[in-house]
Amino acid sequence: MKRTLVILLRNPLSLIGVILVALVVLSAIFADFIAPFPEHRGSVVDFVNFNKAPNATNIMGTDLVGRDLFSRIIYAFRISLVLGVVVLAIATPIGTLVGLFAGYVGGKTEFILMRLTDVFLSIPPLVLAIAMMGVLEPTLMNAMLAVTAMWWPWYARLVYNIARSEREEGYVLAAEVIGASTPHIALREILPNCLPAILTKMTLDMGFVIIIASSLSFLGLGVQPPTPDLGSMVAEGARYLPDSWWLTVFPGLAILIAVFGFNLVGDALREILGADQ
Amino acid sequence: MTPVLRLLARRLGISLIVLVGVSMLIFGIARVIPGDPARIALGPNATAEQVDALRESLHLNEAIPVQYGYFVKDLLRGDLGTSLYTNRPVTQDIAQFLPATLELVLFAGILMVGIGLPLGIWSARYRGRWPDHVIRLVSLLGVSAPSFVWAVILMLLFAFFLPIFPIAGRISDIYEIERVTGFLLIDTLLAGNLAAFRDAFWHIVLPAFALAVSGIGQAARLTRANMVETYDKPYIEMAQAYGFRARRIARKYAFKPSLIPSLTIIGLDFAAMLGNAFLVEAVFAWPGLSRYGVAVILRKDLNAIIGTVLIISATFLIVNLIVDLLIAFLNPRIRYSQRGSS
Amino acid sequence: MRDVLRIEDLVLKFRGYTGVTEVLHGISLNIRAGERVALVGESGSGKSVTARIVLGQLQELRSAQVQGGLYFEEQDLNRLSRRQWHALRGTHMSMIFQDPTSSLNPVFTIGVQFTEVLRRRDPKLSKEAAAKRAGELLNSVSIHDHARVLNAYPFQLSGGMNQRVAIAMALANHPSLLIADEPGTALDVTVQAQTLHLMHDLVERTGTAVLFISHNLGVVREFADRIYVIYRGRIVEQGPTQAVFENPRHAYTRALMAAVPRITGGGVPEIQDMDGAFFDPLEVHGEDRP
Repeated sequence: MKRTLVILLRNPLSLIGVILVALVVLSAIFADFIAPFPEHRGSVVDFVNFNKAPNATNIMGTDLVGRDLFSRIIYAFRISLVLGVVVLAIATPIGTLVGLFAGYVGGKTEFILMRLTDVFLSIPPLVLAIAMMGVLEPTLMNAMLAVTAMWWPWYARLVYNIARSEREEGYVLAAEVIGASTPHIALREILPNCLPAILTKMTLDMGFVIIIASSLSFLGLGVQPPTPDLGSMVAEGARYLPDSWWLTVFPGLAILIAVFGFNLVGDALREILGADQ
Repeated sequence: MTPVLRLLARRLGISLIVLVGVSMLIFGIARVIPGDPARIALGPNATAEQVDALRESLHLNEAIPVQYGYFVKDLLRGDLGTSLYTNRPVTQDIAQFLPATLELVLFAGILMVGIGLPLGIWSARYRGRWPDHVIRLVSLLGVSAPSFVWAVILMLLFAFFLPIFPIAGRISDIYEIERVTGFLLIDTLLAGNLAAFRDAFWHIVLPAFALAVSGIGQAARLTRANMVETYDKPYIEMAQAYGFRARRIARKYAFKPSLIPSLTIIGLDFAAMLGNAFLVEAVFAWPGLSRYGVAVILRKDLNAIIGTVLIISATFLIVNLIVDLLIAFLNPRIRYSQRGSS
Repeated sequence: MRDVLRIEDLVLKFRGYTGVTEVLHGISLNIRAGERVALVGESGSGKSVTARIVLGQLQELRSAQVQGGLYFEEQDLNRLSRRQWHALRGTHMSMIFQDPTSSLNPVFTIGVQFTEVLRRRDPKLSKEAAAKRAGELLNSVSIHDHARVLNAYPFQLSGGMNQRVAIAMALANHPSLLIADEPGTALDVTVQAQTLHLMHDLVERTGTAVLFISHNLGVVREFADRIYVIYRGRIVEQGPTQAVFENPRHAYTRALMAAVPRITGGGVPEIQDMDGAFFDPLEVHGEDRP
């Protein structure tokens, strides 16, 4: 663990990643202190200062109703991160359990669970979420639900592949010989071997969840205004290109920076933990 | 039966099972939602009798499995019901909008493979040196933003600031092209109208590239990773010991064995563009399935939602099937093995 | 007789995170035309890196520092451009690897790979001519169903078959030096013996000099005219095979020989007890150097 951290901080690229992630996470946590106009996270209207290009007071300009874009982006990080953490916190255990038991138990359980997984994996990721949001009310809760529903199968696949190969390993056979129970072998013997791969995937997925969630709100199917969300900010601003370019460029770059940070860290972790999948 | 045919049959069977599963899933989602589909369809001003009549004709009073039975029966006749948004058969709507989306996705797929794979090969050949560092950084950036962000950035740079490409649409209004395949790049050629072809081509470049950016990054990263692993294999050492040219080793002897494990994921990424097309079409006002899809979703037009998702999933499965065949074709172990490998 | 290969005071260092590690501490050896010379030692003693240095492959690694004289057919390899050195590979010098099956590319047929090797010498060789030539070469390693073998992928052939193919490829362009790095160690003992016999006969007939790298003294005794024993990056004993075997002088050579009889076949001799005498100076048997 300590070794991992040292390597992470020594490589210039992963160091940049750690810094970007730290910036995004810290600004999300301390948004109330960092944002110059905290009240602009809600439905404030300031028609005197609307649609202003970046200037000394509003370093990223203001939106169409005069709210400070920089403040809103910082609060939008908060929404993205909460969404990412919740989705992964639910999807990972579900996917892991499904994959673990399908891979270890085999037989009918394997067939049914993995075909079920295949069904979910056979709908292009975004389309499933779009379809679900189509029939659900567009709220933050439902967006999390929709993204979680499309996310767990990827973990099921990942863990299933590892579990299936571990099934034949000596230590598993040894545990079977001494009469260990199925849950014991799956959770205590096989699961620890899947953890590095799961951890790496979670780091990389943090970025992907942010991408998918912002895509949903970009289409108007996710978090609703006035809650600040990077995707819907880009969508709103896109109508005013190219004159009010800051409306789209800054939220767009904010997504890029956050996801890039998580990807850099995830890539470095993958190399260190050697969990190439 | 040859191994490839056997594999094809097996995959086709699994795809069918999966497709049935997808239809049940999406049908289930559409039926368990709160609210009465008939009431939603007719709007708040409809009378109770009208709603009842519609419920009856949509079989909404039956149990859900029975409803599903009716749905499958209609589906097998090629009937996906009527869109409540356009008042036309869903199949007709899809037939109208799907080609534009497919054309965009195929074009983007060509860009993804045509740019992503060479970048990956290059990166692996110069692993640890500066071309590698640059390519890795660029491809990581590529996968780090949703395609609508790339769409907006590209549009701003290459349609507004440097007005090289048109801002939106598939083709300029001045051209009247007879619709044969629905693919404008093909239809313009069939019509023998080169100016129109040029115009359509110019229109598709930016949206396709925006759609392809993350796929290019993903393909480059994957190709690099698999090739770096291949470079450690004894047969590459042997090729080097025998003095094969570095470029030839990269493009042939290291690339082909690495491509086989990459292909499945590249296929998935390609298919994922069917979803991301929704985002790019919105930015470039591309008249494809996405605008239709978002419109019917916002109107809770259930038949159209089910139809759209089903068609996209079927396309997705077909792409995967083609990828599997490609892998079988490239990998002699599958071609000559006695049982299809999974 | 002239030397095909002469190595003088070769030093190899690797730069790593922890600093510089010296792997070869100044080894010298020579191989005369048509001679079969074995370099014997445990794994990690520096045998294989020596082969990579002769081919010029290790020099392409940025972390490796190579010093010392390298002469091939009377030309100073260090003075050649990278391109010129590269041009020698596969034509004037070639190599056989430990595991024939994994050293052949799994997704190309034997025929495709054979053609590529033949084109090293004759870039304009047509496919048909290459197939014909490959057929003749396969004949010389006692493979007679050429068409089947050339159309096969490596995984469709047995290990022994692949080894024959590898030998035929290695000698295809009439190299003056063949480097054999633990050839056939991955095969089972009888197959290994068969293919070594075949290789022995062929190089004798073609007059190809061989640098035979091995840990297996039993195999070396059968194959080599002369032996160099290498221990931790230093040559500790050298001389004609018979002389070394009959009268091993260096403590390490004696330990290595004592370890052999207990291991039948391809096992790696493990010499557990480190002995101060292993670092004794080089022992040279008479008649070795002119």
